[in-house]
This record gives sequence, C-alpha cells and structure tokens, in this order.
Amino acid sequence: MAHLPYVEYEDAHPLQKKVCDDAKARFEMILNIFKITGHAPEMSEKMWDIFFEILKEGQISWYDKELLILKATKMGDCFYCVTQHEAVSERLGISKEKQADIIGVEYRFSPHYKPNEVAILDLCGHVVLNPENIPQEVWDKVKEYYDDGQIVEIVATIGAYLQVSKFGDALGVELEDVWGGHEPVLFAAEAPTSKVAQAHYDHFMESKN
Amino acid sequence: MAVVTYIENPSKELQPIYANAKSFFGHVPNLVKALGSNFAMCKSITNFMIQSLGEGHVNWAFKELVILKTLRVMKSHYSYGAHEQIARSLDVSESKIGDIANSIWRSSTHFSEGEKLVFELVEQIGIDANAVTADLWTELRKHWSDSQLVELNGVITTFIMIGRVGDTLGVSDPVLFTRDLH
Repeated sequence: MAHLPYVEYEDAHPLQKKVCDDAKARFEMILNIFKITGHAPEMSEKMWDIFFEILKEGQISWYDKELLILKATKMGDCFYCVTQHEAVSERLGISKEKQADIIGVEYRFSPHYKPNEVAILDLCGHVVLNPENIPQEVWDKVKEYYDDGQIVEIVATIGAYLQVSKFGDALGVELEDVWGGHEPVLFAAEAPTSKVAQAHYDHFMESKN
Repeated sequence: MAVVTYIENPSKELQPIYANAKSFFGHVPNLVKALGSNFAMCKSITNFMIQSLGEGHVNWAFKELVILKTLRVMKSHYSYGAHEQIARSLDVSESKIGDIANSIWRSSTHFSEGEKLVFELVEQIGIDANAVTADLWTELRKHWSDSQLVELNGVITTFIMIGRVGDTLGVSDPVLFTRDLH
C-alpha cells in the first residue's frame, strides 16, 4: 500500500483532471504515480509536462531515450519504473536481449548496441554516480554523435527519471495490476542492490505464481 | 565551463520562456540558457523549477532549507551558494542554514520536530528512496498535510534532478535571484 492515499479522478482538482486526461490519452490508463500527485495539482501539472515531452520523438529518438530511462532507473533500483519501461521499450523495438545487456557495462561488448548508444549509456552511468567528474573522453564520444540540443535532451531525460523514480519509490507507489503478466528482464538478470526493491521484486514474482 | 553553449539570444518560440524566467528570477539563469538549445526541455524544466520554488502548500523559506539539505545529501554543487543567499533573503537565520549540515540538524534547537522529520526524509531518499519507512510517513503525517508532503517530496526530488542536470552540464549560477523576494 502506498504511504499516502491516491487521488482518484472523480475527486481530483480540475488541473489534475487535465493531467489525468492527458495521461490516459497517452498511456491508455491513469497510473498510480499520476494519482498520488493529485494532492498537489499545481506541481503535478508542471512535473508531468516534462515527461509528456520526453516520452515521444524529440531532438533524439524516443528509442534512445528509453535506453537511458532503463539504465538510469535500473541503477536507481526502481522496480516500478523499470517494469513499465521494459514494456514500453519492447513496443519500440528494443528486444529483451538488448534490454538485458544494458546492465553494468555489458552494453559495451554487446552486439545489440551501436557506438552512439554505448556513448550515451556511458554518460548515463556517470550522471547517476558522479556528474561533476565526467571524463572528457566520455563527452568526446557523445559529441561525436550528438549536438547541444540533443545533449540537453539526453541529460534532462536521465535527470527527470532520477526525479520521478525517487519520487514514486519514496511514496511507495505500487505497480498496477495490469503489469501482472510482465516477465521482468533487468531485475531477473541482476538483483537490485536495495533490500526493499528486492522485496518488491520477490513479491511481484510470488504473486505471478 | 559549461558543456553546451548558453543560448544568449533566444529564438521567437523561446522568448516567452526567457521572459517568464526573467520575471521570476530577475534575470535569465544560466541553467535556462544552457537548456535553450532544446525548446521542449527548456520550457518544461524551467516551468517546473519555477513552480517548485516560491510559496505553495509549504512556505518558500522552509523549501529553501529542504533544497539546501537535498543538494548536500546528493553532493550537488549546482546553485548551492545561490540557494544559501535566497534562504537569507527569505529571513532564514544563519543558525538554521548552518545546522542542516551533516547530522547537526538532529540535535539542533532551531528546528521543529516536523522539520526534522522532513530532513530525515531527504536523507533517506538520498540513500535509497525505496527504504523510506511507513513509520516515517506516519510521523510526517502528524505534522504535515498530504498536499504538503507531496509538495515536499516533489521539491526534494526536483532538486535532485536540477542538481544532476546543472552539475552534468557544468552550469554555474552564483546568483539565482536578482529581484526582491519580499
């Protein structure tokens, strides 16, 4: 159970109803993480606008952004985000084999990854762990393939998913029942570091059996 | 030095974003200029940053302490000095600003029990957001409304994002606000 109650659509402030309408139009359902932001609709409206902008083609492809989202949220042990974005990634053509190779630095040696993808995943690892000391060679590789506007989108995507994953995990937002049939890829390949995230994963797998 | 070029002369579509930032901050912050080469990101992140600051369900002065604590916990340097100045401008005492460091806040006489619980939340989110306990939320709910708690969680995680983006892009904003905050 989440640590705060969800705000259901019928009880929501008009600003939040608009957010929910947009979310439903984009994602076919109103996820629990949208519902919980209904307690602060002014914040919710502006916060979700970032994600509506990220989750589509932009100055970089949605496909590239999904790779970054998987990498950043796996590093943050966010079972909620990873589960949903494994499904989104598959719809965008990222195979389960490719998803699994995103762990650690497997992607560097994987036949599924192109050099530009390796460059942005290397950058992602540094942004999550130590953004003030990113080696010049990492930036040089990224800049071989991406211009300033694209770099902004890459960094913003990583930052935004660090934000939302911690936001949801702190509040204990639960994975919706609709994901019950999902077969986890990343957490099946590598256990979470967080004991609580491991418990979420174990509970999810037990409920499938 | 920033990794990307600051966009000093905004395109027509960016002009309202810069104008909004200038109206709120008193000038256009370098972070906004660094994001300026990507309209969608510049617009959405600038608007979210502006919404996160200022008065809301929680007063701005306390939000600044939460931002400072968050930046410290995440070891983010982007805008730390600027937020110290903002806190002072909002009449937050030097004692409070000093006492959020490390674990000093735990024994400080300058904070209420509810404020200390929020700093505990910041520290737990920084270490492992999954591990924020039901007990901590129960205690938090004795002092804060659900709207305030969602807003506080939003401020904490937003400034994790802002710190990461600012530090990664090598942006410096020594003075964030040049307008009168009162």
